[in-house]
Amino acid sequence: MRSMRVSISLAATLGVMFSGGVGAAFADPVTITLNSWRTEDIAVWQDTILPAFEAKHPDIKVEFAPINTNEYNAAIQSQIEGGAGGDLITCRPFDVNREWIKRGYFESLEGLPGLENFDKTSRAAWSGADDKAYCLPVAAVLAGFYYNADIFKELGLKVPTTSAEFIDVLQAIKKDGRYTPLAYGSAESWQLAYNGLYSIGPAYWKGEEGRLGLIDGKKKLTDPEFVDAIAAFEAWKPFLPAGQESLNYADMTQLFTLGKAAILPDGSWDINQATSTGLNIGVFGPPVPKAGDQRYLQEMPDMGIGINAKSTHKEAAKTFLDWVAGPEFQELYVNAAPGFFAMSSKPVTYKNKLAQDFADLKQGAELTPRLALDRLSAGTPPLDDETWRLLQVMFTKSDVTPQQVATELQTGLASWYGPQKK
Amino acid sequence: MISPAAAHRNLLLFVLPALAVYLVFAVLPLATSIVMSFFQTNGVSGDTFVGLANYVRLFTHPTISARFWNALLNNMQYFAIHLIVEVPMGLLLAALLTSGKLARSEGIYRTLLFIPATLSVVIVGFVWRLIINPLWGLVGFPLLGTESTALTTISLMSVWQYFGIPMVFLYSALLAVPNELVEAANIDGAGGWTTFWKIKFPLIAPQFGLIAILTYIWTFNGFDLVFALNGSAPGPNYSTDILGTYFYRTFFGSSGQLADLDLGAAVATIIFLTVLLVTAVYFWLIQRRLKSYSV
Repeated sequence: MRSMRVSISLAATLGVMFSGGVGAAFADPVTITLNSWRTEDIAVWQDTILPAFEAKHPDIKVEFAPINTNEYNAAIQSQIEGGAGGDLITCRPFDVNREWIKRGYFESLEGLPGLENFDKTSRAAWSGADDKAYCLPVAAVLAGFYYNADIFKELGLKVPTTSAEFIDVLQAIKKDGRYTPLAYGSAESWQLAYNGLYSIGPAYWKGEEGRLGLIDGKKKLTDPEFVDAIAAFEAWKPFLPAGQESLNYADMTQLFTLGKAAILPDGSWDINQATSTGLNIGVFGPPVPKAGDQRYLQEMPDMGIGINAKSTHKEAAKTFLDWVAGPEFQELYVNAAPGFFAMSSKPVTYKNKLAQDFADLKQGAELTPRLALDRLSAGTPPLDDETWRLLQVMFTKSDVTPQQVATELQTGLASWYGPQKK
Repeated sequence: MISPAAAHRNLLLFVLPALAVYLVFAVLPLATSIVMSFFQTNGVSGDTFVGLANYVRLFTHPTISARFWNALLNNMQYFAIHLIVEVPMGLLLAALLTSGKLARSEGIYRTLLFIPATLSVVIVGFVWRLIINPLWGLVGFPLLGTESTALTTISLMSVWQYFGIPMVFLYSALLAVPNELVEAANIDGAGGWTTFWKIKFPLIAPQFGLIAILTYIWTFNGFDLVFALNGSAPGPNYSTDILGTYFYRTFFGSSGQLADLDLGAAVATIIFLTVLLVTAVYFWLIQRRLKSYSV
């Protein structure tokens, strides 16, 4: 297959050479490069997505050029500042990207027809201080709870909808004694924030109301709704496996996929892992504090794509982005990478059942991104890092209260963030 | 017979290839990194010379400096544990290997004991993490998840991996001890214990200085095992953060964190100076004196 493509392009090149490059139909295609941190997506792009695009636009060739996730920010920053970098750059959400926009890395996308498929909230993660769009939203991830339906059936449990029911379910599993209630550990602090507090917390701080309140300086992390959220998270502690302090992300997932634990608080990106052993698995959304309360769900904008301001092929790059904004790409991508969700307002069907279940959780829920990544982490100490650290301290030590965590978070934030300084 | 001048010229010529590679791939990046630490390479507007501003920020910003000192102290502890555990272990094993008691199996043991040093840190980290995993492993206590034990645990994993290095150094030094001296001591009525401490040990003593300084260099440039086990924000509560991971976090950023290349360059320069100064002092003051003592 590949060798055939090589020989076709070789023939095309030779044809161009012999015809003196005049044949318009055989003009050299423009090649544009796309930088991304998703090294694991190489096959998806090369075998599925790019051929679909190139079939429609034979004059443009796109090369997928991923960089190691851990080195992505540094690599992009030094490449662009050195006048290099791909024509298309995958954008981190919020603060990192806002700084990149400020430094002039991106071409503005205003006027790109495909942008209209996305509402303002979806674009927010990648707009500049001038409110203009610089990256096209590509995919978001959700957070929720995977549960082992067979264990639930065996113990006669119902999917919980309120915090009290959630604790009752955990209590019942613990009392039965055969299964670990929560497959959760605190060795990797990021997931205490992303799959724990930022998942169940929005129901307490009312999603965007609380998040934007912190950004405006109208609310503080020491306000009761935030302390209550941290306390609701701390209430998980008695239901974690023994030695949870040392359990990392792989351990937790394994505990769940081996059928030894009933519930796994995790992100949608882990769908393939969670279902890898063929268990009968369902998902439920974060519980609400009281029956009848508004439901909230964490929808985290994960990646966008922008155009390098120094690219020499901006038109080709725009053509590509316009295609990325359309339903064809969206369906290809979310089905090739289950756990990622389209952000476009056009409906998308998910072939993976669990992915569809996750998408259904969005119905009737208010969506909100991770609490601390927008503006609140653009200084030192970043609120997000501090949240990771302090939640880990709370989960590994017995004498740290939710109130203390909130106070220390607030002190750190107020030390540099203008609207919180008073 | 070539003239001394020509010999000198030839010498330079032979050194040149290695020197060129060293200059391009070691000295140049190092110099660039040091230069970078005096600049603010922020944005496409270009670089601005900021003098010592990056260093001032590193040492005075409450959070940045607190994390730096924490990493430095952890690194000292990391080094101390290596020195205290690894060297006596290496000495004991080298002494056993050369004692003659193992007879023909000496070679097998020497190879077996050295094998961990040849393993990839990722494997060492993975295997040990499983062994001490409270869920599937042998130890119920969360050694890596407890602030007071995490750093010691990682240090000991590293010791387990690298004790073969001091062992080999001391082993070859022990082999080099002239047999006549040992025989003379035996004739004078010294037993194995006395021979070892009074004859062999003083002769291999200079090796300890070298091992100590190499351990210092390795541990202060350490990064891989901690990163493989705990990532670039090594917890809990930064209790396993060492200079290498601190630098990595600063320089490379993370998904939600900008890469701060300039501050990172300043951190790298400080690490370089920390290693350079101690090594230089060691070579000027100690190693030169020791030389006159060795056989």
